[in-house]
Amino acid sequence: METADLSHHISRRFNEDLERVRSKVLGMGGFVEQQLQKAITALVEGDSTLGESVAIDDYQVNNMEVQIDEECSRILATRAPAAGDLRVIVAIIKTITDLERIGDEGEKIGYIASRLATMERPADKYREIKHLGRVVSEMVHDALDAFARMDVEAALRVARQDRLVDEEYEAIQRQSITFMMEDPRTIRRALDVMWVVRALERIGDHAKNISEYVVYMVHGKDIRHTSLDDVERELRTRDQTSNPA
Amino acid sequence: MQPATQAWWFAAGRLLGTVLLGLGAGWLFGNAWGGLAIALAVHLAWVLSNLFRLEWWLRHRSYADPPDSGGVWGEIIAQIVRLHRRKRFHKQRFVQLMRQLQRSTAALPDGVVILNAQREIVWFNLMASRLLGLRRSADLGMRIENLLREPAVVRYLASADYSNPIVIRPTGGEDGYLSLQVAPYGDGQLLLLVRDVSRQMRLEAVRRDFVANASHELRSPLTVISGYLETLAQDPSLEAELQGPVAEMRRQAERMTSIIRDLLELSRLEETDEVVGGRPVDIAALVSMLRKDVLGRPVHPGNVTVSVESDAQLIGDEPEIHSAFSNLVDNAAKYTPRGGAIHIRWWVDAQGGHFAVTDTGIGIPTEHIPRLTERFYRVDPGRSRSTGGSGLGLAIVKHVLQRHGATLEIKSAEGVGSTFTCHFPPARIALPQRAATATG
Repeated sequence: METADLSHHISRRFNEDLERVRSKVLGMGGFVEQQLQKAITALVEGDSTLGESVAIDDYQVNNMEVQIDEECSRILATRAPAAGDLRVIVAIIKTITDLERIGDEGEKIGYIASRLATMERPADKYREIKHLGRVVSEMVHDALDAFARMDVEAALRVARQDRLVDEEYEAIQRQSITFMMEDPRTIRRALDVMWVVRALERIGDHAKNISEYVVYMVHGKDIRHTSLDDVERELRTRDQTSNPA
Repeated sequence: MQPATQAWWFAAGRLLGTVLLGLGAGWLFGNAWGGLAIALAVHLAWVLSNLFRLEWWLRHRSYADPPDSGGVWGEIIAQIVRLHRRKRFHKQRFVQLMRQLQRSTAALPDGVVILNAQREIVWFNLMASRLLGLRRSADLGMRIENLLREPAVVRYLASADYSNPIVIRPTGGEDGYLSLQVAPYGDGQLLLLVRDVSRQMRLEAVRRDFVANASHELRSPLTVISGYLETLAQDPSLEAELQGPVAEMRRQAERMTSIIRDLLELSRLEETDEVVGGRPVDIAALVSMLRKDVLGRPVHPGNVTVSVESDAQLIGDEPEIHSAFSNLVDNAAKYTPRGGAIHIRWWVDAQGGHFAVTDTGIGIPTEHIPRLTERFYRVDPGRSRSTGGSGLGLAIVKHVLQRHGATLEIKSAEGVGSTFTCHFPPARIALPQRAATATG
């Protein structure tokens, strides 16, 4: 009876540990979301101080990653989790890597924004970037929501949105090339803009990765490098076979 | 009570009858005790069957009528039915009340989220789900920080200081502003109120823009007027009786310029919330510059002393700090007569850094002190206009201090003098790195 009590105690502590790490990941995600938002605002509104502050604050994201990483190692070493719990830890370790990369891309955008703020602004006031930025930050937001809720459906929706980002990326690239050919004086700025768009596209990829980890975390199924339609079909058949059982 | 007592008498009579009947019948057949035993067994069986029916009915009460028994059994069943009915009535009333309560909170124009001590979501209304993107049933039991991940919100929830609401721009959604306020209640439970303040924020932005634009637009014509007035004043052929009015016009034009300059500065200060970071400001250099400025005024108090008691530096925005401090020193100079004294002091202690300006001027009546930092607030309208102030100086000071997390303390006695002290938090103070630590 005493041992039963003890094991219950341990598992509760373990659950608390897991929950705390999950909260930390989401806290880090919240910070990264804010960084991204600030970076895009800095670029669109030509606010060089804001851009600089984003670039400076990136170290905090790195610190959070290191801290969460350490905590995960500690849990792996002391609790030796199995099955679903192990998957949660593995997914967290992967997620924070992607979050940190998103932070890096945000830093890059912030840096370029502070530089572009001193240059002449294009007539469209970076409307495309603003739009792409909104799509991408929504993806990050939804991916983290899916992570918080363990919501596979939402995760798959995010993953599917990545295609839209890729198309937008192509379109802006084509447009920039046209600008550069029309007026070579804009090349310098257009190159910087391309860096930003590239960074946004990468952030979309990272958001997609995070949502894939959510699927892995919930179903134990690695859906990287497989077509989304296949994934969905398989998950659906699995649900059907597992439900009556 | 009456029929029940009757029923009990009847039951007792029946038992007695049964016993007598059994005894009599037994005696006729030569075994009185056997007869009694049989009669009691029959009676017991009857009681048991009644008990069985009662129990069966209690079990299937929802869809069976109560058994039709007379006597004591009937009384008991009637009591149970009455109890049951009363309970159902109370329950219905309670459920109705609950439903009404829930409906009214659901209809609140503000979002309401109830959190338990672990800050897990216990309940939320429709508006909250709309404003925060919460999902019915799926998000119950979820920690609120997992869904509201904005660093400002996380900090606010962790701070345990919920006296003021915070305004956030939710990420991932449409452009808008939400105001969040937490009200703790009960056993560490929290009530989170969410309001959509986009409209107020937009109106505020419109007002700010209007002030900024209006000031900006007024500035150019004023520059032209001032320019012509200056040439006019220097024109030797100007008639003597016009010289006075022209000089006065010049003074007023200058005043208008300073008002507009201050308005522009104020609206710039309002545009952003807080100075994050900033660079160390050398207070000693700043203070000696302020002293020179005072002594450079055409009319100034004779005695301006300075004591910089710490070489710690202040972290912030240098132009803003300069503007705030020089406003304080200017005020002191303006309201202190020629023979008076001004003392400027900077010191650092455990509470942070402090900058104080003390004068031996005319002082401020106590009732005016709380309103002193309002825009265009005048203690004595006639007098302060003559000094050429814009009426915005202390408002600027207040805003600059707010942006640096500092507070302004005003002490004054009429006819004796005033002390304006700025208190900066320790986080804003950079202690000098002493050479001593580097060498040994």
